[in-house]
Amino acid sequence: METTVVGKGLPKFDAYTKAKGNIAYADDFSLPGMLYAKVLRSKYPAAKIISINTARAELLPGVHTVMTSKDVPHNNLRAKFGQSTDIGPNFEGLYRVLAEEKVRFLGEAIALVAADSEKIAEEALTLIDVIYEQLPGVFDPIEALKPDAYLVGDNDTNLVSQFKIRQGDVATAFESADVIVENTYRVPFKDHAFLEPEAGVAWVDENGIITIRVCTQVIEHFRTVAEVLGIPHNHVRVIGTWVGGGFGGKEDISVESFLALLAWKTKQPVKLTYTREESFLAHSKRHPFVMKYKTGATKDGMLVALEAELIADAGAYTYLSPWVLLYATVNAAGPYNIPHVKVDTVAVLTNNPFSSAYRGFGAVQPNFAYESQMDELARILDLDPLTIRLKNCLRQGDTLTTGADFGGSVAVQEVAEKAWQALGPKRADPGKHIKLGRGLAVGMMSYGRLTFLHDTSRSYIKLELDGSVLMRSGIPDLGAGQAQALVQIAAEELGVPLEKIKIFTSDTSLTPLAGTSTATRQLYMSGNATLKAAREVKERLIDKASVMLNADKTDLKFVNEKILRISEPDKYLALSAVIGQCSTDGDELYSEAQFNAPFTEVPVSDVITGQTFADFTFGAYAVEVAVDEETGAVNVERAVTCYDVGKAINPLNVEGQLEGGGVDSIGYALTENFEVEQGYLKSHSLAEYLLPTALDVPDIETILVESGAGIGPYGAKGIGEPACNAMAPAIINAIRDAVGVRITSLPATSEKVLFAMLSQN
Amino acid sequence: MKTNTKILTSEFEYLECPTLAEALNCLSKYNGKAKILAGGTDLLIKMKSGLLQCQYLIFVKKIEALNYLISDKKTLRIGPMINLRSIEKNEQVKAYYSALFEAVRSMAATSVKNMATIGGNLCNGSPAADTAPPLLVYGATLKLSSMRGDRIVPVEEFFLGPSQTVLESDELLTEICLPDLGDQVGSSFLKLGRVSADIAKINVAVCLNRNGKTVGNCRIAFGSVAPTPIRIPEAEEILKGQEMSDELIVKAAKAAAGLIKPITDKRSTNSYRQQVSKVILEEGIRSAWQRAGGEL
Ligand SMILES: Cc1cc2nc3c(=O)[nH]c(=O)nc-3n(C[C@H](O)[C@H](O)[C@H](O)COP(=O)(O)OP(=O)(O)OC[C@H]3O[C@@H](n4cnc5c(N)ncnc54)[C@H](O)[C@@H]3O)c2cc1C
Repeated sequence: METTVVGKGLPKFDAYTKAKGNIAYADDFSLPGMLYAKVLRSKYPAAKIISINTARAELLPGVHTVMTSKDVPHNNLRAKFGQSTDIGPNFEGLYRVLAEEKVRFLGEAIALVAADSEKIAEEALTLIDVIYEQLPGVFDPIEALKPDAYLVGDNDTNLVSQFKIRQGDVATAFESADVIVENTYRVPFKDHAFLEPEAGVAWVDENGIITIRVCTQVIEHFRTVAEVLGIPHNHVRVIGTWVGGGFGGKEDISVESFLALLAWKTKQPVKLTYTREESFLAHSKRHPFVMKYKTGATKDGMLVALEAELIADAGAYTYLSPWVLLYATVNAAGPYNIPHVKVDTVAVLTNNPFSSAYRGFGAVQPNFAYESQMDELARILDLDPLTIRLKNCLRQGDTLTTGADFGGSVAVQEVAEKAWQALGPKRADPGKHIKLGRGLAVGMMSYGRLTFLHDTSRSYIKLELDGSVLMRSGIPDLGAGQAQALVQIAAEELGVPLEKIKIFTSDTSLTPLAGTSTATRQLYMSGNATLKAAREVKERLIDKASVMLNADKTDLKFVNEKILRISEPDKYLALSAVIGQCSTDGDELYSEAQFNAPFTEVPVSDVITGQTFADFTFGAYAVEVAVDEETGAVNVERAVTCYDVGKAINPLNVEGQLEGGGVDSIGYALTENFEVEQGYLKSHSLAEYLLPTALDVPDIETILVESGAGIGPYGAKGIGEPACNAMAPAIINAIRDAVGVRITSLPATSEKVLFAMLSQN
Repeated sequence: MKTNTKILTSEFEYLECPTLAEALNCLSKYNGKAKILAGGTDLLIKMKSGLLQCQYLIFVKKIEALNYLISDKKTLRIGPMINLRSIEKNEQVKAYYSALFEAVRSMAATSVKNMATIGGNLCNGSPAADTAPPLLVYGATLKLSSMRGDRIVPVEEFFLGPSQTVLESDELLTEICLPDLGDQVGSSFLKLGRVSADIAKINVAVCLNRNGKTVGNCRIAFGSVAPTPIRIPEAEEILKGQEMSDELIVKAAKAAAGLIKPITDKRSTNSYRQQVSKVILEEGIRSAWQRAGGEL
């Protein structure tokens, strides 16, 4: 299908405003008479709360209220993430607003203060007397699984979830293998480190509605906030702001309930903004995993069996751990055809920071493991990295390890070849002790939510009398161009220039709910809903225009604000004329359309079979690194990525996503280590938690494959999260190629690489 | 480590002193109760984290008379209020004081360098301060001034421990003076960080003179391997008066690595620091030698 706006690399309409600093982010907003909130956080990772005395804090002049768990009408709820289906306790954990009885992690919220200034609120925190009795706690997921382990929560086990994949008979298959590679891989906590820390302002409006203006990926949390207060859902309104980065870290509730409680209690507007250090303490992390892999192949390089045991540290609360674990389970074998597969996964509570969503959502951890395994196998078998992958990769018509079919396109071969070949001929090592090495990795990840969540999205389009277009969508824009994509789709369908379309987003009371900006679902879900809405309106315009032009409906085309006859292009009507006629005839041109993802049932057994995801995105990274043999320093010199994105609605934006995912993964591979020791953070701030800067990353070359076979609009696939696959293992494999050492735990710091080289020699 | 709350928790009075006389007067008047504020890139972080309190904050960065860089071919005099970016852009520094140039080039990012002063980098007393090793190997002296008068202290005697220097509470650093470095001189600075713009895991500076094929005067200084930036005289002695060779370099570097006793902290481990100290010193000596016109 020919397109004119879709497929163009266009700057985001919000980019210029942002560059000028004209966007009012969550913290850039104030109201008269506004109070400032602060949160008292636990000093210990595991302790019993003996007593909390707020009397001294309440007496401090300027303090309006101090709240603890006993002031929260409903302090313990089931954590929801916008899903409107009941998926049961196996997939939904506890959401506790403020700690009660015991604290489970360092930094857990215990009390809230609202005061005339941040400074007074801060001082009030020091006047709240909490008496703790420290408890031993448990900080290692493997320890936490032992029968007599310290219990983190209120249940009689620390086990959160466990899943299995069973395909064929691995025991027999390993006997037939010529080579077997066995390794244990470890990945650490990772922080989202978004530019904009959590922030929001809440107030009670003139109708008594609690209104929260907040940066979030999930405006649907308004329902949980209402339940915390015990008021009807329609009494809470969440207005989502432009978000300064989310990456999964703004998927759980952050400041919303705190703000709502304080505004509700004081009847005054309240602002709460986290500092960077508080943000580190307060929000989730990417799950650390310990991953034991055993992979067997024949001597000509055909995979025969894979056995994997994955242990995920869920931290102190369940949150999204069961979902993340399910992703890890389904992705554990990677995009390969392996006749015999056995996967066992568990997620376990500990008194560490809680883990939840992080861009890549359980797919990236096993990706590091299985792609390291493939690289080792290739070395033992003396195959190059591309050959072993081509021998074994999934192809059209193959099935997942759960037995589910892949719907659309499975372009693993194409992306692997293109990325690897783009590196071109090898260069000589640039210096005596600088060794170059190359690595390849492929990856797979779903887009769209778990199908048993019964996901839906809505989008609204209205044509104004003058031919301009108004759109409404609940879509939170995280800075990734979510809103722009919908506008491009409407522009394409209606033949209206982008500037003539205005979109209003992210308001639970005024915009149709589009679902969460998570799970790489917005372009797929809301893009489809928008396409449907646009086509409904278009249909009605065509009906009218065919009468007005006396033309066959199939002979009409929308271009440049005109509807013209394809056969006689000089016969046309201005779009506004057709709209005017519709309006005169009482036909208002608007549509709110809903798109539904495929629905499946909630898994009832630990053994996962059949369909759990709607579709997958496949991609590859090929990199060249330079390793300094004397210092262990690794520099990524070149990086090429190739993904099958189905259809690039906005190629510039797709490149941005791929580059961003790549940079994020360079940090994962080399520098970012969110260290936690016995529940205490060693990485307090960005001075200890090192993100790569512009100086640390190469230009990332992106190659887009457009199979047109995705289930999003125009055949698009999702790219946001899958973009975090493959870069980290490609780097680790390139280090192996350069200096011969296999790094099995991330990040590969200079220290780690240097001592691995020294102990090898 | 306390949490940085963005809030300056303690009350203080802010005094802006546009002249040296006023600054010294204020320091004397509020002796012990005041802190000096230059670029604030170290001080404000400490204040926000509650690690440092003061009743008076004396802002000195606007003292124009202390914002200069004067080179008369032989010596270099640096006003402590000059920002790091200006030093980095100075042609004289780039041409003749390679170690200092490489040090400021390696520091932070441009925005921070536009704020941060060289005086602040020294007076902050960090063992990792990047301008310290170059100034140590150049044999720089510091002028410390107060209402009581001026005194000159060699950089070597300036640092006492982490965040500790010989500065008295009423004193201001008013000049950094680099002596005549002599002929056939070459210097270098190397640093390892976790990312490109980072505080040093370890840094090293070398400055030497060449007499034909032999090493004349020579100084070596490390940062981030001891409570203060330190010179390694034993390694310097190995080089001095000797004919330059690869073996000699390796010998000196090995000796230096054996003498330092680094610690493990959030940036690196003692064993890594020990291991790479050799590597960066070897490279440092090589490039200083080559800059002095020597061959290898
Ligand atoms: C993001 C970032 C990156 C950084 N990167 C580096 C780096 O790579 N390498 C590095 O070495 N440092 C680095 N720093 C630390 C800091 O920027 C430097 O140490 C800087 O030079 C300090 O100068 P300032 O003018 O900001 O000092 P201030 O913060 O104003 O002062 C520092 C201390 O010195 C005292 N002081 C200042 N001037 C005088 C004076 N003339 N007389 C007496 N006392 C004085 C102050 O009272 C205070 O105790 C970094 C800091 C940040 C925030």
